[in-house]
Amino acid sequence: MKLPDVPTGLRYRLAALAVAVVLACALPYTLGAYAMHIVDVAIIFALLALGLGLAMGIAGQVNLAQVAFFGVGAYATALLTTEAGLGFWTAAALALLISLAAGLLVGLPALRIQSHYLGIVTLGLALAFLNWIVNTPMAGGADGISAIPVPPLPGIDLSDEYLYYYLELTVFTLALAFGLFVVRTPLGRRMRAMRDDDLAAGAVGAEIPYLRMAAFLLASAYGGVAGVLYAGLIRYVAPETFSIANMFLLLAMVIVGGRQSLWGCAVGAVLLFLAREWLADFATYAQLGYGLVVVVMVVFAPTGLAGIPRRLRAARERRRTGTRAVLRDFQPYEPADRATAERTELEIRNISKDFRGLRALDDVSFSVAAGAIHGVVGPNGSGKTTLFNVISGLYRATGGAVELDGQVITGARPYRLSLLGIARTFQNLRLFEELSVRDNILVAMDRTRTRSGWRYLVWPVGIWRQDRELRRGSEALLSRFGITDYADTTPGSLPYGIQRRIEIARAMASRPRLLLLDEPAAGLNGEEVRQLAEIVRSIRGSGVTVVVIEHNMGLVMSLCERVTVLASGQVIADGTPEEVVASPAVIEAYLGGESMAEEPMALPTEVQ
Amino acid sequence: MQIFFQTLVGGLSLGAVYALVAMGFSLVYRTMGLVNFAHGNVVMIGAYVASTFYLTVTLPFIPAMLIALAVTGAIGLVIERVLRPLENKDFTLMLIGTIGFGIVLEALATLIWGATGRAVRNPVQAAPVELLGLRIRTYDLVVLAVAAAATVALVLFLQRTKRGAAMQAVAMNHEAATAVGIHVGRSNAVAFGIGASLAALAGSLAGPLLYVSPTMGGTLGIHGFAAMAIGGFGSIPGAIVGGLSIGVLGSYSAGHFEGYSELVTFLVFTVAIMIRPTGIFGETTVNRA
Repeated sequence: MKLPDVPTGLRYRLAALAVAVVLACALPYTLGAYAMHIVDVAIIFALLALGLGLAMGIAGQVNLAQVAFFGVGAYATALLTTEAGLGFWTAAALALLISLAAGLLVGLPALRIQSHYLGIVTLGLALAFLNWIVNTPMAGGADGISAIPVPPLPGIDLSDEYLYYYLELTVFTLALAFGLFVVRTPLGRRMRAMRDDDLAAGAVGAEIPYLRMAAFLLASAYGGVAGVLYAGLIRYVAPETFSIANMFLLLAMVIVGGRQSLWGCAVGAVLLFLAREWLADFATYAQLGYGLVVVVMVVFAPTGLAGIPRRLRAARERRRTGTRAVLRDFQPYEPADRATAERTELEIRNISKDFRGLRALDDVSFSVAAGAIHGVVGPNGSGKTTLFNVISGLYRATGGAVELDGQVITGARPYRLSLLGIARTFQNLRLFEELSVRDNILVAMDRTRTRSGWRYLVWPVGIWRQDRELRRGSEALLSRFGITDYADTTPGSLPYGIQRRIEIARAMASRPRLLLLDEPAAGLNGEEVRQLAEIVRSIRGSGVTVVVIEHNMGLVMSLCERVTVLASGQVIADGTPEEVVASPAVIEAYLGGESMAEEPMALPTEVQ
Repeated sequence: MQIFFQTLVGGLSLGAVYALVAMGFSLVYRTMGLVNFAHGNVVMIGAYVASTFYLTVTLPFIPAMLIALAVTGAIGLVIERVLRPLENKDFTLMLIGTIGFGIVLEALATLIWGATGRAVRNPVQAAPVELLGLRIRTYDLVVLAVAAAATVALVLFLQRTKRGAAMQAVAMNHEAATAVGIHVGRSNAVAFGIGASLAALAGSLAGPLLYVSPTMGGTLGIHGFAAMAIGGFGSIPGAIVGGLSIGVLGSYSAGHFEGYSELVTFLVFTVAIMIRPTGIFGETTVNRA
């Protein structure tokens, strides 16, 4: 374990945390009644911002309905206490459940649509909610609902806003701690991976649909809790609190603070809320001001206030370290006993794929023996990557079947295929750009399911233990691939060859039985290609079947036992490398026509 | 049956306004992949400028409208210039940046014109037209005619002029467009300017139909946006069909559900967009691995 500078860092951080707790506890003694009230409301906005940050900054789900979750929580508490006559805490628990249901409802569209569509749909649903509470007689229209009872707590009078502050502080601390825990453990890591690249995340086993719903559930849970606290504090709810203007204010809080950092979200919320109250007499100028701040932040500091220290640190480290990090040698896998061959790992049967009348794959059939390195070659546009996309579940085949070890897997979702043991790399590199190299590996290594997320509520210690276990495993993998030095950097800053190796490491982290490599040698220099061949051979030696798309014919010839050649979506040759290269159909496909073939063999550029 | 058609006709004029808003959205989206959430607020500024010159300066309606077109066109250019570094990059950031501009525009409008809003006198004082037993307000016909004329002009511009063709090229592939010597930045600026001018057209036409206030931008913007999503992102015919659909849908749900019309409109919109995410004329986007 190599964690040299963490102890001091941790000590500073713990000290800072202790100071923050003491200050937060002492704060009420320095405030007047009105200031105390403002701080109480600010904490509620900070809770809302945490929820929005989790959905938007961590999971990448554009959620413009956060203010509606807040409203659902507050209105449900109000209605259940005043109309249904329930006790405050019973009502609060039910209100939280209702908010979660609202979260599921608003999250449903996210299964089908993303980014701008999702923004407009969630905003539309927030407007629909506002429209409902303004009009329904039950919710009291524009007048709202008053006379919500004081939350009872033995020995503590919560109608006192000073004491209410401590309740809020406790809830907020727990909410922040839980949020940070989620972000740093498997669930949050998968969400961050999904935010950076949902295709690649699916391909390493992240269950995208469940994760999107989980993001909305988290957002609505924080919204619901904030709503309950608001109802208990103000004891009066009215539509104006849940207006779209407040939604945009909330958005500004998250952007100014830094959407990818929960600390940032909370700080942004408190700062902006206090600024708004301070400028209450110049409300319009304040609005103008925060609008401008949002524009400036988005253009010049997209990571918000929370991102500034990291940007400074990154700049400093670039100057200081220079060349210390090195790519180390790959350490081969333990060779496994060669399985009693003859078993077919992958069977492609009559696969066709049409894109609006364009036939990209036409009746493609071939099989890959278990423990083989199988090459797929062909001119550009011959359908190789389309075939990989069909096998790994990104595309749905128009016709035909794919079988993995005798089991039909056609049409299964990418994450399911990943769980069945298919891993892949991408032609244009799809690493999770904002995740560290270690986290990239951890996402793929983690084979637990999103479904087991309930354990976050019941037994977080179990999650924490499991995460520590994963991290230990990741160290071994990082060092096997020789990339330990880069574990804490983000991949975007690394040279291309190293990124390629990280992508293979990530694919291997899921311990697959079948590895699909899409042009792994593209952009590599001679030495790197040699290392690649060594890595691929070792992977195969450990018992993994490898299918590789490659233009570098030298590599294909030396590496593959069998080669399938595609041209215009059809298989034109299939056999050992020597057979395939001698095939007239292949020569014609590469050189285009008989007449050319008679000229001395000037091989096309892609064939080396 | 009579009521059915009367409701339909009633929704068309507002639908035409939504269509103009959606066309502005679409034009900007197709050229630069940017969804301008401030667009609704630009519409609002257009409505205010037009109504100010019409009511306070007492210019005739058309010149007042033209001034509004120029003013919002300039605003569009400013927004484009400021957000240019984000183009074709992080979508969420662009979205939030334009929301920021929307907040600024709304605050500016409140500072200049006050928070209360104003009613705009109907500039066409002719009696309603009777047609097959339906009463159609003359102003509604004017709105439809102006919207139709603007659509034709926009399509002609895109298809017949060199600048328009360049914009089409940028819309298809901005890198290839750069390679053949098209100034992408300038092309985007023109798209943004025209989009903002369309917003002013929509705003000034909406003035006499609705009540002009700083918050009208939000409502008009989200309806126009919904119209574009239903029609298909970036599609001009889609914007028109989507706009008219949202207008008519709103008119029916106002008739049947009264106060809850907005709730119903957005629920229907959400279901529609989930069934067909690409809209009526939208293109399927293929994930490239």
